Amino acid sequence: MATNPMHQFEVYRIGPEIKIAGTDLSFTNASLFMLLSALVICGVLFLGTREKKLIPDKLHLISEIIYNFIAKMISDTAGTKAKPYFPFIFSLFMFVLFCNMLGMLPYSFTVTSHIIVTLLMAIFVFIAVTVIGFMKHGFGYLKLFVPSGVPMVLLPLITIIEIISYLSRPVSLSVRLFANMMAGHTMLKVFGGFVISLGMLGGWLPLSFSVALTGLEILVAFLQAYVFAILTCIYLNDALNLHH
Amino acid sequence: MKNLTDFKTRLKIAKERQKSTHKNEDNKGNLSSMGGAFKLSTDLVAHVAVGTIIGFILDSWFDTKPWLIIFFFFLGSVAGILKVIKVAKRMQEKD
Repeated sequence: MATNPMHQFEVYRIGPEIKIAGTDLSFTNASLFMLLSALVICGVLFLGTREKKLIPDKLHLISEIIYNFIAKMISDTAGTKAKPYFPFIFSLFMFVLFCNMLGMLPYSFTVTSHIIVTLLMAIFVFIAVTVIGFMKHGFGYLKLFVPSGVPMVLLPLITIIEIISYLSRPVSLSVRLFANMMAGHTMLKVFGGFVISLGMLGGWLPLSFSVALTGLEILVAFLQAYVFAILTCIYLNDALNLHH
Repeated sequence: MKNLTDFKTRLKIAKERQKSTHKNEDNKGNLSSMGGAFKLSTDLVAHVAVGTIIGFILDSWFDTKPWLIIFFFFLGSVAGILKVIKVAKRMQEKD
């Protein structure tokens, strides 16, 4: 019963086929899990912050810890000027975190293991940061590509290098999240397959490996959400406080 | 419960305090070491990939195959290495 380890990443349709103007807009398992994580986030935060209590319960405590964590991260990396962007970064972090964590449940689907999802989020961040930068600094934002103290001869080359560096932001942001999630889940499935094919005698070793890997995957799921959010903060900082 | 009204005033005071205190403006990306390692490796690869893609697009615009793709591949590698050095320096400063 050793199944294909890539089978878990398959996107299939749930319910009827919906086609609008030639585009397939059917409800898939990917949409189901995105919707599910959005609902879980809303549920946790709504139930957690429903009333102001003197002695917080668990959900209350969790939502306050997450709130403080993100607020501190933003003020540490991007300064007080980035406070208005808190809701965006908080939602981004929560969405990535809950998509990753829901993907850790058996038989579930990991939305963030598809590059189109992560690339879309990264491109959104990229465009938003560029627009914010131009809104705050006008054409002065282009100074980002011209570092000071460079000899005139090298300036064109350095400018091209800086432009490549700027354009590679969404690529590295999305590939990091996608590759981590996909590699981790494939590895879990492969070790799970070993357990079955080695049977009662030799299956204990891969089983212990997969227990350890599950712990590692939960760490990676949190870490990648954190890295995604903190890099968004760093890019926002570049756009808000232009000093190079 | 008189504590609850007390709590509300305390909340107000805390909010005022938060408004008045300004955190230090200078930034140091506070990546944990594992996150930092992931960042370095993907940054290097992404720069080379983006450089090569730019070269490919420019080549098909100007019909100069294969010169620009070679040039931009090396430029992308240079950009990637420079970026990795920059990030690694920033990480070291913090420790």
